[in-house]
Amino acid sequence: MSEVLHAGAVSADASRIAPKTVRMKSFGVGSKPTLLISLATAAALIAIWWGITELAVVPRLFLPTPGEVLKQFNIVLRDGYAGASLGEHLSASLFRIVLAAVIAISLGIPLGLLMGLNRWAKGILDTPIEFYWPLPPLSYLPLMIIWLGIGETSKITLLVLAMFAPICLSAQAGVRSLPIERVNAARSLGASRFRLFLNIVLPTALPEILTGIRIALGVGWSTLVAAELIASNRGIGYMIMSASQFLATDVVFVGIAIIAACAFAFGAAVRLFERVLVPWKGKS
Amino acid sequence: MLKVDHASVHFEADDGRIVHALDRVSLDIPDNGFVVALGASGCGKSTLLNAIAGFLPLSDGVITLNGKSVVGPGADRGVVFQKDTLLPWKNVIDNVALGLKFAGIPKLEQHRRSAELLKLVGLADFANAFPYELSGGMRQRVGIARALATEPDILLMDEPFGALDSLTREQMQELLVSVWKKTGKRVFFITHSVEEALFLGTQVIVMSPRPGRIVARFDLDFVNRFAESNDAREIKASPEFTNLREEIRALLHGAHDIRSAAE
Repeated sequence: MSEVLHAGAVSADASRIAPKTVRMKSFGVGSKPTLLISLATAAALIAIWWGITELAVVPRLFLPTPGEVLKQFNIVLRDGYAGASLGEHLSASLFRIVLAAVIAISLGIPLGLLMGLNRWAKGILDTPIEFYWPLPPLSYLPLMIIWLGIGETSKITLLVLAMFAPICLSAQAGVRSLPIERVNAARSLGASRFRLFLNIVLPTALPEILTGIRIALGVGWSTLVAAELIASNRGIGYMIMSASQFLATDVVFVGIAIIAACAFAFGAAVRLFERVLVPWKGKS
Repeated sequence: MLKVDHASVHFEADDGRIVHALDRVSLDIPDNGFVVALGASGCGKSTLLNAIAGFLPLSDGVITLNGKSVVGPGADRGVVFQKDTLLPWKNVIDNVALGLKFAGIPKLEQHRRSAELLKLVGLADFANAFPYELSGGMRQRVGIARALATEPDILLMDEPFGALDSLTREQMQELLVSVWKKTGKRVFFITHSVEEALFLGTQVIVMSPRPGRIVARFDLDFVNRFAESNDAREIKASPEFTNLREEIRALLHGAHDIRSAAE
């Protein structure tokens, strides 16, 4: 009896002083946030950049100061660059990327789903996709020009090809992640083939498809500069290439920063979509 | 009446050998019957359930439900799986309503019926929760409600409580008995647990592997006694229950010997 009383006294004590909490050591990164570390790293990198230019370790021509880049950004924003305003360059690039993404998504999702569902579709489509998918887009860029000319068609086709494969392959993987129990459960509840596809297969594949789209957009931005090498007179990629010919390093930096910001914004948008459309991801 | 008549299922294994998963099994599940199949892994009890559900065609024999031959899956046979198969993108009530949605029933009616079933399984307050917010036991209760929603003639349950902790498991058994009593459905239930089989079944069939067949049948009354007394522990501790439990355990451990003796 006295022991019970004693235990009660201890817990009463403990509630007055904040108890020392413990936690099992996690392996790897764990769940602690890394945002502050990342922000500090960004600040440090800019500081190093500033330090190097201040100390004039490398000529300004090769590495402009952060201030100069900012100033150049304002000039480009006001006056444009290489015969077009910044808005025109940006909208030309965005138009290509968005149009290519729309085409790649509307081709990649149905074909990927079909490949996940049908042996013949998989067998036939696997061959060309597995062949071209590992190729760097720059390697077939000359063919695009020869076949499709130097207009918008060749640029957008190049982007579509680069973005199609990750979307198609992820849709296929999404179908394959479908557990047979889920199919059986739906069939025993009276699902028709159409219902099974619409209400079970499609939502099951959705998280993988969104991941595929996120990867595709990343690939798209990295292919954009290559696409805009083809006799362009508009586009952020064109702006960068044109600036490099005049050794206008500060404009190159402005272009890189804009592409980075766009790519980040697209990635964040897809992540937002993921949070809204597939809130269950990673939780079940 | 669900009638399994000389049902056989033979698989071809990866190495080319033929596996006799089910060998001329016959079984009747009468109205209000609660039949429990008991046996070690590989004895064919899941094969039998999959055949009744229509997921698996028979090599030989026939299965009929109310005189109609079973040819594929259908909403007249509700299935509860061991692994929870709820749709993670739908909340609890829409998961329960899934079969009604497939049947083309209007949304309002879907929800009215599903809400009743959620009350039956004690989850009335969780209609808008998502599966990932529920415990394993609660998910299985949603699974039971979902299987009941299309008003099937029989409930097929494939080790539904196998992944639950023993305390939750006993609560689920008692819940299932009350659901069974209230709805009057036939149940075909699969388990590894002798105690679970004895407690739940009006009939327990003991199965043995290679080839999968029924080696013993027991008609039981424990579940009806529980429905009256509502004292599960007293029933499970009664000498009648424990004696039978030991007898069946001995039977399971020596299933092969008994089978050879019978032949």
